Amino acid sequence: MAELSETYACVPSTERGRGILISGDPKSDSIVYCNGRSVIIRSLGRPLEASIYGEHAYQATVARFSPNGEWVASADVSGTVRIWGRHGDRVLKNEFRVLSGRIDDLQWSPDGQRIVASGDGKGKSFVRAFMWDSGTNVGEFDGHSRRVLSCAFKPTRPFRIVTCGEDFLVNFYEGPPFKFKLSQREHSNFVNCVRFSPDGNKFITVSSDKKGIIYDAKTGEKMGELPAADGHKGSIYAVSWSPDSKQVLTVSADKTAKVWEIMDDGNGKLNRTLECLGSGGLDDMLVGCLWQNDHLVTVSLGGAINIFSASDPEKTAIKFSGHMKSITSLSCLHQSGQKIILSSSYDGVIVRWLQGVGYVGKLQRKDSPQIKCFAAVEEELLTSGFDNKVWRIPLNEDQCGEAVHVDVGSQPKDLSFAVKFPEVALVSTDSGLAILRGSKLASSIKVGYTVTASAISPDGTEAIVGGQDGKLHIYSIAGDVLTEESVLEKHRGAITVIRYSPDTSMFASADANREAVVWDHITCEVKLKNMLYHTARINCLAWSPDSRMVATGSLDTCVIVYEVDKPASNRVTIKGAHLGGVYGLAFCDENSVISSGEDACVRLWRLIQQ
Amino acid sequence: MSFRMSNASSGMGVADHSKSTFLELKRKKVHRYVIFKIDEKKKEVTVEKTGAPGESYDDFTASLPENDCRYAVYDFDFVTEENCQKSKIFFIAWSPSTSRIRAKMLYATSKDRLKRELDGIHYEIQATDPTEMDLEVLRDRAN
Repeated sequence: MAELSETYACVPSTERGRGILISGDPKSDSIVYCNGRSVIIRSLGRPLEASIYGEHAYQATVARFSPNGEWVASADVSGTVRIWGRHGDRVLKNEFRVLSGRIDDLQWSPDGQRIVASGDGKGKSFVRAFMWDSGTNVGEFDGHSRRVLSCAFKPTRPFRIVTCGEDFLVNFYEGPPFKFKLSQREHSNFVNCVRFSPDGNKFITVSSDKKGIIYDAKTGEKMGELPAADGHKGSIYAVSWSPDSKQVLTVSADKTAKVWEIMDDGNGKLNRTLECLGSGGLDDMLVGCLWQNDHLVTVSLGGAINIFSASDPEKTAIKFSGHMKSITSLSCLHQSGQKIILSSSYDGVIVRWLQGVGYVGKLQRKDSPQIKCFAAVEEELLTSGFDNKVWRIPLNEDQCGEAVHVDVGSQPKDLSFAVKFPEVALVSTDSGLAILRGSKLASSIKVGYTVTASAISPDGTEAIVGGQDGKLHIYSIAGDVLTEESVLEKHRGAITVIRYSPDTSMFASADANREAVVWDHITCEVKLKNMLYHTARINCLAWSPDSRMVATGSLDTCVIVYEVDKPASNRVTIKGAHLGGVYGLAFCDENSVISSGEDACVRLWRLIQQ
Repeated sequence: MSFRMSNASSGMGVADHSKSTFLELKRKKVHRYVIFKIDEKKKEVTVEKTGAPGESYDDFTASLPENDCRYAVYDFDFVTEENCQKSKIFFIAWSPSTSRIRAKMLYATSKDRLKRELDGIHYEIQATDPTEMDLEVLRDRAN
């Protein structure tokens, strides 16, 4: 049996030039955001617990809790809104096709009966408000000619809806049933976000023209604006009111967040500026914010989430981050007595995680090329991307040293370290193999078959190479010369991964035809077969440190753990480990497996012996 | 007078011994499983092996060849949710993907004839690799 112990969740997916909208539930202190097709709910107090909803068929854009905290309404790029229960089975209450294009913002009415959604209507309606249980329309929303970026519902009676969009307009609707009342054209660029104050007296709009304007909530007339003197120097992407309606938090592309005090006459005064320093550069632009209870949450373009304290300006911010894109590989290292988990994704981001704590940091490299293959030992990393270079990066705790690169002639398909002698590494390309000693190319050979996977033994004397036809070729290495010794035939599909067991007595191989096999190293006899329980290609494989268990992860989203001494039918299956497929696997210790996948999350599972 | 019903595709008959062994399994419960093999020379389905009632499911799976097709009948005992002891007969068409195409073709076309003769089968399973006739699969089907 396996149970989920920790989740290192992904961060919201961001887009340059646009803000993102995150929201939360003050009662349970959770925030909700979207990444890919999943909606992620995270508790601010317990960052290792994240629940993920993956039922959308298209990329999810925004999600909101209902005012009573029981339901979540989430929307995606196809214009569909799904309303589902927050607890338990996530039972679907309703699903409506609201707009014909992507939905950019969604709000519940304060009584939880109506929902207004706005976005890109492709020429037809850009905004729709409907009853949550029946989907019937509650108003006509005309007045916009371009994408409507944000909408808001007045939290007190009389009900009003405000929408704002790319046509620089801020439209004010009265109802229900909602009808157009007036339009404001105070902004000179895209209006990114509009929000009502919790007490229902004012609303504020922020725009890419760096201005923030405050209006009266009942009439829609302009009251005042945020002073330009201390104002933002870049587009303002999002705004959030404090629970007492006296302050607002704004975030901008100039990499700062500002807290303003809003006076009764509608004018604003700068209270403090929050700097969110990261690695510098584009990734620090702030694109989303939320003021919840005492927390000021800001999200940057690179996905870093900073939580400041509203009441205590001196307190340092809690920072955490994660992956935004699919995680392609994972490894577990021992560094200064701790077990560090390194995960890498194809966009070149390498993140360090610590078991029990979560995010520890990102590894910054001088050039950050994309990563396709990744291998790690205690002192070094070996990465390769989509060009012909293999990079060797020395690892110094959490810093990367000077990286050196070697050109191997064509795109590397697989690489591995000889664990006992890390200066020796084997790189396989489409048509050949190369041995690297240090940062030099020691030898390379061309082979007559298409190579799909390779592994070098921990002592560097043997290599196993798998081909497109399912055959395993065993080579011996003597003085950097590779000589083919034998060929093993058992697999019925292209080999995807080969791994030696930590005690080197066995090796395991897996193929694209869902089968994995464990072989004895010396005799090359099959030790465990019939490991056919996956229903799609096997992507990754890992051995437990005591060489007793093998885990396989597949495109079918399952992780299966087999014990080498028992028949394959005594397996432990973890179903639905990662939406979209499992791409990385590692054993942390005898009883914990870490897996990572397409949904950009890393999960730690505890195996319970029965 | 009994006339031989011709099997349109392969013309394999069912030996009387096969049918009577099956009836013994069904009525007198003297066998846990029966494995049938097609004897091409005599053009009929014969009994290859039978298992004692004390044998387990693993013994049964071990008796099936890895690279050749067979038919099998297994008497599966289980306890339902309402706590009653039940027993169902499974017909397993074992056709592993590693076997020869000729064998797979032969066994596929003769299957219907055999099933008609073996009256009293509750469930049928077609297995192309060992994971498809795992004990879990039988347990799921039997409820």
